[in-house]
Amino acid sequence: MIALLGKELADLRRNPALFMPAILAGSLSMLLPFVIAIMVPAFAGERLSESSDFEVALEMYRDQGALRALDPEAAVQAWIFQQFLVLLVVTPVTAAMSIAAYSIVGEKQARTLEPLLATPVTTIELLGAKVLGAFLPALALTGATFLVYLAGVSVFAEPGVFRALLLPGSLAVTFLLGPLLSLAALQLAVCVSSRVNDARSAQQIGALVVLPLTAAFILQVTGMFRLTLPLIGAAALALLAVNIGLLLLGTVLFERESILTRWK
Amino acid sequence: MPFRVLSAHHLTRRFGDRVAVDDLSFELAPGEIFALLGPNGAGKTTTLRMLAGVIEPSSGSVRLGEDVLTRQTAPRLRSRIGLLTETPGLWERLTIRQNLLVYARLHGLTHPTSVVDEALDMFDLGDRGGDIAAELSKGLRQRVAFARALLHRPDIVLLDEPTAGLDPRSARDVRDLVRRLRSERRTIVISSHNLDEVERVADRVAVMRGRLVALDTPPALNVRLFGARVRIGLGQPASAFVDILTRAGFVDIQAHDGTLSIAVHDDNATPIIVRRLVEAGADVVSVAREQARLEDVYLRLMGGES
Repeated sequence: MIALLGKELADLRRNPALFMPAILAGSLSMLLPFVIAIMVPAFAGERLSESSDFEVALEMYRDQGALRALDPEAAVQAWIFQQFLVLLVVTPVTAAMSIAAYSIVGEKQARTLEPLLATPVTTIELLGAKVLGAFLPALALTGATFLVYLAGVSVFAEPGVFRALLLPGSLAVTFLLGPLLSLAALQLAVCVSSRVNDARSAQQIGALVVLPLTAAFILQVTGMFRLTLPLIGAAALALLAVNIGLLLLGTVLFERESILTRWK
Repeated sequence: MPFRVLSAHHLTRRFGDRVAVDDLSFELAPGEIFALLGPNGAGKTTTLRMLAGVIEPSSGSVRLGEDVLTRQTAPRLRSRIGLLTETPGLWERLTIRQNLLVYARLHGLTHPTSVVDEALDMFDLGDRGGDIAAELSKGLRQRVAFARALLHRPDIVLLDEPTAGLDPRSARDVRDLVRRLRSERRTIVISSHNLDEVERVADRVAVMRGRLVALDTPPALNVRLFGARVRIGLGQPASAFVDILTRAGFVDIQAHDGTLSIAVHDDNATPIIVRRLVEAGADVVSVAREQARLEDVYLRLMGGES
């Protein structure tokens, strides 16, 4: 599997353009909270903490003991930057989705699958390499995006706000829930990729996984739902189970004979 | 046949209602070159895929020596098989060396880098290892695909249309390589539409159209279909000697300018013919067994279909 993974990564290195949409989307989603929390109030000459729209944020934020010392403006900013972390998690998924969606279909279209299947490689090794080949760059992108986000917050936001992004809950969303969800999305995309004839179908179906994240984002922002640590833990366990299930499902769905003989 | 390195027993493959390969059986010896001939859709590629363990037969079996190829044994046995697919199937963005290295590692070779270096040298690609696959000519791609199929030194080599689309020189290189593989006692199965190429290299041919139509050596197929004939070149007009041979019991005699073509039933007939002609005062210039081209044999078997 390491040999195939190496191939996947070497292939990506030679085609960095694949990550351009993700980098663009990541930059935009990173920019958005800065516009809302810093630029708009600066241009409008208003403070966020004086707006009634953010009362919920202030109330919620003061529940978090570690950040009670923040002044009201910093608390609202911290709340905004924390909510947008969910969007930052979505971005690498979308990037990796196109890679994963193309993985099996691409091999078939380039007629590289048959010689590959004639080697001792097993289905689980093949699928594992395909998923990891998309997942590892996505993980690296998540880390890089998070670091840039953190740097931006520490420079432009009120003092102490960046600490909100280093709380266990924020870190767990970024580096546990996000990657697990990415992994599930990628596995789903690879599963779909091994059943459809073109990459677009795989990408469209696989992209459905972004929906729960978007829903979580909206529910959080409206105050209807909060990702607490226990909830994150439970979701992580559930996602782990989903990932194992998807791995097994992938090996069942991957019919090498159909792929070779029916796809044209 | 003392040892069967590869054998197919009643191999059948169905795709839904369509039977792609129907009850195909053969046994191959080490160092044998075996050609699969047939029109498009005759089941040649499907047969190669079953022999390579890439797809399973609907019924029947493939054996590598004593080992039966099954879903369970295929990952292990595939390391004994080298498959050259119809299209080279290289990873376009990777270099030649990277393409080969991945396969060397997939086959679990102990020293993949040195194996790849050797392969690059063997296929005259030593100075091209850093070239991106997408930039290679068709002939070079095919050479890389060949190198890839042979990296792990398989004792069975399956070649699907190995010279399709190649220029004459590249095609000759491929034929030379196939002969070299035979000299290394590797068993080779070639699927091809190029009858001239098959005639030059194959020890036996299987003509198939789903089912096996005929299987034998090219000369034996020729004799079976056209009968054995002897061609004799004379220093005089050949028509003057037809009667002499007719009286000697030969019934199918064709004379054209200074050449006689005579149907014979066994090898003893040739000395008798030559003796009668010399006794009758003929100047015998040449004697040769007459053989139809494989293309004629194939077309006769296919009933005129190409």
